[in-house]
Amino acid sequence: MSSAIGVDVGGTKIAAGVVDSSGLILESLKVPTPAQDPDLIVQTIADLARQLGASDSVERVGVCVAGFVDRSRSGVLFSPNLSWRGVRLREQLQEALGGEVVIENDANAAAWGEFRFGGGKEADDLLAVTVGTGVGGGLVLAGELLRGGFGVAAEIGHLGLVPGGELCGCGNRGCLEAYGSGTALVRATRFAAHKDPVAAKRLIERASGDIAAIDGPMITEQAQLGDEFAKTQLAELGAWLGLGIANIAAVVDPSLVLIGGGVSQAGELLLQPIRDSYLKALSASRHRPILDVKVAELGNDAGLVGVADLARNSIGE
Amino acid sequence: MSQRNAIGVDIGGTKILAATVDETGSVLEQIAVATPHSVELVQAAVVQSVRTLLTRHEAHDLGVAAAGLVDHHTGRVRFAPHISWRDEPIRDNLAHALRGDGITSVTLENDANAALCAEWRFGAARGRDHVLLVTVGTGIGGALMSSGQIMRGTNGMAGEFGHMQYAPDGRPCQCGLRGCWEQYASGRALSMQMQSGGELLTGQAILRAANDGDPEAQRAFFMVGQALGLGLADLIAALDPELILIGGGVSMAGELLLGPTRSAMSTRLVGGRHRRVADLDVVALGPAAGAIGAAELARGGAPSL
Ligand SMILES: [Zn+2]
Ligand SMILES: [Zn+2]
Repeated sequence: MSSAIGVDVGGTKIAAGVVDSSGLILESLKVPTPAQDPDLIVQTIADLARQLGASDSVERVGVCVAGFVDRSRSGVLFSPNLSWRGVRLREQLQEALGGEVVIENDANAAAWGEFRFGGGKEADDLLAVTVGTGVGGGLVLAGELLRGGFGVAAEIGHLGLVPGGELCGCGNRGCLEAYGSGTALVRATRFAAHKDPVAAKRLIERASGDIAAIDGPMITEQAQLGDEFAKTQLAELGAWLGLGIANIAAVVDPSLVLIGGGVSQAGELLLQPIRDSYLKALSASRHRPILDVKVAELGNDAGLVGVADLARNSIGE
Repeated sequence: MSQRNAIGVDIGGTKILAATVDETGSVLEQIAVATPHSVELVQAAVVQSVRTLLTRHEAHDLGVAAAGLVDHHTGRVRFAPHISWRDEPIRDNLAHALRGDGITSVTLENDANAALCAEWRFGAARGRDHVLLVTVGTGIGGALMSSGQIMRGTNGMAGEFGHMQYAPDGRPCQCGLRGCWEQYASGRALSMQMQSGGELLTGQAILRAANDGDPEAQRAFFMVGQALGLGLADLIAALDPELILIGGGVSMAGELLLGPTRSAMSTRLVGGRHRRVADLDVVALGPAAGAIGAAELARGGAPSL
């Protein structure tokens, strides 16, 4: 039936697509993000939307960005990767496109996409975790996206797990993100490879002998080949994520956790350690049903698909 | 007179508080009895209290708030920490027992959820839609409201704030884990901070000592307030409420507790310069909040749940 345009503005690329009401992407475009120029980013978003038919055939546009989106869903308060501070994105885009535009945080949009069309269709209360450069979170509670009082809920990457622990990009110490992100995985793995190059032999070979060249996909692929060293690295990442998830479970009691982002391709090699650690850190785990931990289904498209649906549903709001 | 009173009963671990509450949230009369040990006696005590209240004020709606895991759809308490209820059909039992006394509807709700409803309708959370109630007593419990709705979670277990992992491999908790938040930021933690003399002091005694200028007692409130603030920063990261209400016995310490709480909270907040941050306040309704909220829920005036 009615389609909408979804745009996902990431730190390195902007993806845009026409999405139908069943969550199917009919057409899509992708360009690099001109990250240093905030105004050019806005122009680029508008251009992509126009190319996909905004303002003639498709009326609704949803845009999701990494960063804090204000409560009225009209501006971006703060986006570290896009050097945006207080950008009135909705107004600017509506002016450029002449139609309704909806703004959402990317992790929220991804959670909504999974809830509507992906791995979360059966759940009323779910947590979607995106493990990438950082750790993003989106919460759907009682079938509604949890936005919080000021629009910035579900920042689970910055739950404090280790008092006085590793420094996080946010300036605090000991955040989940400093231990449970893809970045943290690579850092910890390189460190462990330095300490025990014998155990890490295969992985180092895969990186052509250069420990500093070890990256996330190498670790996942090596683990999938059965390499114990690589498996241990993923298990440790999973243990941190499980701890953070247990804290969220104590607070909001979801029935499902979906893990997305590049590292989620490790599948059970990551999920099982998450489940084990979650169970260990969950209070009264014998007296309550245990939530499911699964891999997110929509992959990189979750944000785009989710925000297009939010734009379509915003009619009359 | 179209005034509609309702009766609210809060079944806690140590006492049962029953109150007749009018439409403005005012308590017309209240009765408190010690909580008996057996399931049958608890029920009998509730029935007796309601009958006593009914001799003075007419009411047809009864709301019951209970500590523990409450399934409000089926009206059962699945599990309670202090009473040996195991999947007890409290709502139907009470409806049956009190039918002859003019009670036509009975609702059952978790005590923290009921208290938050009361604060939302009549107390410190009026006009706010995204609210956390954090109850700091012996342990830490609470409830959360988003867009004016109580969030219960899939299993009705949302709001177990006290068992968030606060310090890896930290102090042992009654729940079997180590390092739970409530081991650092509750009344129990306050007593443990004071344990230098060997004997555990009550929260009230520590508060008195702190107000009398005892540096050890003041330090205990500082430590506990700080731990409270650090945990609240996590709750803000997860839920982004516009208002956090602190309730429970320890909240009586007011700024002695909340001062350190505020400063610790703000040091730990993510993106603090780029966002608005929840107000921190204490509850307004006191110990009867659970009963007032239960009565309001029974009357149907509280948010749709
Ligand atoms: Zn952080
Ligand atoms: Zn515990």
